[in-house]
Amino acid sequence: MVNVLDIKVVRDLWSMRLQVLSIAMLVAAGVAVFVMSVSNYRALVGAMESHYRNERFADLFAGTTRAPLVIADRLREIDGIGIVEPRVAKPVRIIREDTNLPISGRIISLPAEGQPLLNRLHLVQGRWPDPLHPEEVIINAAYAEARAVRMGQPVEVVLNGRLQDFRVVGSALSPEFVFATRSAVPLPDDRNFVVLWAGEDAVASAFDMKGAFNDVAMTIAPGSSVRHVLDEVDRLLAPYGGTGAYNRGDQPSHRFLEDELAEQETLSIFMPSVFFGIAAFLLNVVIGRMVEAQRGQIASLKALGFANGTIALHYFKLVTAIALLGSAVGLVLGCWFAVGVVGSYRAFFRFPSLDARFEPWLLVAATLVSVVAANLAAATSVYRIAVLPPAEAMRPATPPALQTFAWLQTMGSRVIPLQYIIAARTTLGRPIRTVLSTIGIALAIPLILFGLYWFDAIDYMIDVSFSRIERGDAFLTFTEPVSTDTLHELKALPGVLNAELQRVVPVRLRVGYRTYRTSAIGLDPGSELRVPRDKALQPISIPADGIMLSRQIASQLDLHVGDTVSIDVLEGARAVREVIVRRISDDILGSSVTMDRSALNHVMREGPVANVAALRIDSAQSELVWSRIKSMPRIEGSSVKALWLSLFNDTIGEMVLIGALILAGFGMLIAIGVVYNSARIALQERAWELAGLRIIGLTRREVSAVIVSELVAELVVAIPLGLLIGRYLIELIASARASQSFQIPVVIDPSSYVIALLLVIAAAFASFIMIRRRIDTLDLVAVLKTRD
Amino acid sequence: MQTSEQEAEDSAAQPPVPVFVARGLSKVYGSGDSQVTALKNVDLDIRQGEFIVLLGPSGSGKSTLLNILGGLDAPTSGSAKWRDHQLTGAGDTELTTYRREHVGFVFQFYNLIPSLSVEENVRLVAQIASDPMDPKEALELVGLSHRARHFPSQLSGGEQQRVAVARAIVKRPDILLCDEPTGALDVDTGRLVLAAIAKVNAELGTTTIVITHNSAIAGMADRVLRLSGGRIVKEEPNPDRVSAEDVQW
Repeated sequence: MVNVLDIKVVRDLWSMRLQVLSIAMLVAAGVAVFVMSVSNYRALVGAMESHYRNERFADLFAGTTRAPLVIADRLREIDGIGIVEPRVAKPVRIIREDTNLPISGRIISLPAEGQPLLNRLHLVQGRWPDPLHPEEVIINAAYAEARAVRMGQPVEVVLNGRLQDFRVVGSALSPEFVFATRSAVPLPDDRNFVVLWAGEDAVASAFDMKGAFNDVAMTIAPGSSVRHVLDEVDRLLAPYGGTGAYNRGDQPSHRFLEDELAEQETLSIFMPSVFFGIAAFLLNVVIGRMVEAQRGQIASLKALGFANGTIALHYFKLVTAIALLGSAVGLVLGCWFAVGVVGSYRAFFRFPSLDARFEPWLLVAATLVSVVAANLAAATSVYRIAVLPPAEAMRPATPPALQTFAWLQTMGSRVIPLQYIIAARTTLGRPIRTVLSTIGIALAIPLILFGLYWFDAIDYMIDVSFSRIERGDAFLTFTEPVSTDTLHELKALPGVLNAELQRVVPVRLRVGYRTYRTSAIGLDPGSELRVPRDKALQPISIPADGIMLSRQIASQLDLHVGDTVSIDVLEGARAVREVIVRRISDDILGSSVTMDRSALNHVMREGPVANVAALRIDSAQSELVWSRIKSMPRIEGSSVKALWLSLFNDTIGEMVLIGALILAGFGMLIAIGVVYNSARIALQERAWELAGLRIIGLTRREVSAVIVSELVAELVVAIPLGLLIGRYLIELIASARASQSFQIPVVIDPSSYVIALLLVIAAAFASFIMIRRRIDTLDLVAVLKTRD
Repeated sequence: MQTSEQEAEDSAAQPPVPVFVARGLSKVYGSGDSQVTALKNVDLDIRQGEFIVLLGPSGSGKSTLLNILGGLDAPTSGSAKWRDHQLTGAGDTELTTYRREHVGFVFQFYNLIPSLSVEENVRLVAQIASDPMDPKEALELVGLSHRARHFPSQLSGGEQQRVAVARAIVKRPDILLCDEPTGALDVDTGRLVLAAIAKVNAELGTTTIVITHNSAIAGMADRVLRLSGGRIVKEEPNPDRVSAEDVQW
């Protein structure tokens, strides 16, 4: 036989269905964010670990100019080293009929037979190159997809300045290029960057590397000292132009991936905590008032002889049912969001398999957390009511200490209409309740603001990075240093409005035991196409001697203006210099060392040469410019700002939009949930009083004014409070997610505050309309028949 | 608007014209099996300044009739009119205006606003009335001017009910409707409330209808209407009205 109290649970749930739904939505928001962020993080980590394991991603990497293969055997003798795989890896350029843009790439040699020992390829399409056909290559799957390359299709590659025909027989994924990007572009440009894997004979002969290597991948034996192995590798490769050995932390793809994972980990802990915290708080407020509103029923049950425990259990069942409903919705939403977000990751991170993971423990944990949080939230109210003696519980809750507000009687009530006095006394007479529901409404705002903030931050990042710092429309990289003649040549091209040369070389900064691999950029004094700036966005002049450091590097190496740092150039003569930090710049995207170009040339012991050109191009003539550039020799690659920005908008922009919509949607749900519940419960508690007002002749509008003005008073305090909390939380999250690759600035546009405010007002307004409908349909006669 | 004195003179000169006219009033709650008929085909005329007592057991239709006359409920069929105000078929706005301008209510459970003081509860109605008396005057009429600054929770039941009476009369209503005004009170307190109601009826000429199932109170009425099963089963004129002090129960 069904317990009658359980029937009451079901009937109560049904009769309060709108309230139940709005509370369940709060739980759902917490569960959804929890499931989404944890499963995203787990999906990325899982995909990375299995890809690295299956394809044997190397632990250490090193480059040289040209080392004989026998050196590889010497490397194998280093104590603590595992597998050593020498290879040839060189920059190349691809020529395509359908584009004038130079497509840059990298060619990597494959062993004569089968897979390499390390950094194996995961074949997506096609087959392995036939050793008897040196023209056969495998290309990276991202490029193959982006350019719709068919198997068997020829590809024209400029190797070492010579055009050579290859044929694509397969496309593959590599743990080295999970995040395939060129330097200075923190997003993969799959259409204009290609990786080719070809037999070692073909590559070695094209680059005059027979019996030699210029790149080596290694593993480290478990328990060995990484530092020791790196030093030994450097020592052995130094005579052969070693560019410095490094571990995964400095491998570009892995570095970016690790940053993203660190950020995801922070967010997967931080965001759900914020959501659950807010949801639990709101549940406490809302359920507390719901239970309070049923004190009469509770008193009757107690009078009938029900034990406190039985009554408490009854309410816990009610709360658990709501939490379970919310969890169910949250699990579905969370999984749905997770699938969407993981899908958008596929554009950035190329893994053999990257799928949203919904491990059973996660779903169970999310449900448990929400049920426990909801019951904890309800516990105080249930306890308070359960311990009341029945007679006391049967009386209405003690009215607020109205005498405290006697001043309202003498001062205000002759001027202010009495409806507002009722509202004011009720609001002030229950300060704790008022404060709690005000904070509840306030907490909706940070979520909305957090969603909008991403747009502002990204707009700001784009504006600062690509309108103020990087002012060129396009960048060309050269296969070897070029002189001022090339500058004149570029400037003379019709359609080129301005051109500047830059010297960009890989360097390693060293302070004590700390090192940082990055690029040093040599700029001419008064450079207009790259303008380093400080925090206030004021241009910083390039120091004539010493270096300018990005703030991220400075803080990571704990360097300040005036400090000395050792800079190892990882190219050419491998100069090592002590330099003084002269200025700190505030770059948002990327981090670099900036120097005077002639000073860098001096360090490099070379003439006034450069290897990068920044261009400003008349957009009307850009096709003409690129067709001329295509035929120029020594061009390694290019990047076009407009293309890059549109790529950015298509990928990151979409991701941010989805995220913002989810957050703003949850924020609005919370605002509606809290405002509606406050109003609904106020109505429930005071239906009798309000109906009384209607009976004595107050209009619906006048009666609504009582409840609405109470809520408006809470909103007036809640909105600025919410905006402040929002600002604080954003600062907290921004500082928690600061990564090496980029820093998200704390920039909130005034319009975002206004939108957040308007959305909360809209949510409140929607609640008012629902409440007004309730007031309009108050059953006056029924109210008369019951005592308060 | 006519003053009650003028109306009193008018009624003395001519045969009294009924202010309330109800014909064939019926009220059915619910539908199907759960259908309950609260009023059955009730005809009723009430004259200006009359003190009417509605007597009858629970469920006899007293409150339903009072609610329809007070503009709180609508009949299922039939018509009800107060002067030129049609109470049947009127919309919420008209009924609200009718209650606001003409009707004063007193209920068994006082229905005071807990967050307003005694004086404010009375002033709340004065605030929305077109020709109210001074709230202090209304409180004086019920003998509570000394409690003006107290809150309802600080008053006894009888005092609260007298505040409800003061609140009902402050607008100088044409009609005073009281549903079991002494139902929750002891004899002595009940008498004080009844005295206040009788005083308003006598001094302001307010048409007064009191519901009770206490037949002793019937002695105060000009006319007693007995209801049973949704019909008026007996109508008893009472030429020998007694004062509230003399009511015994």
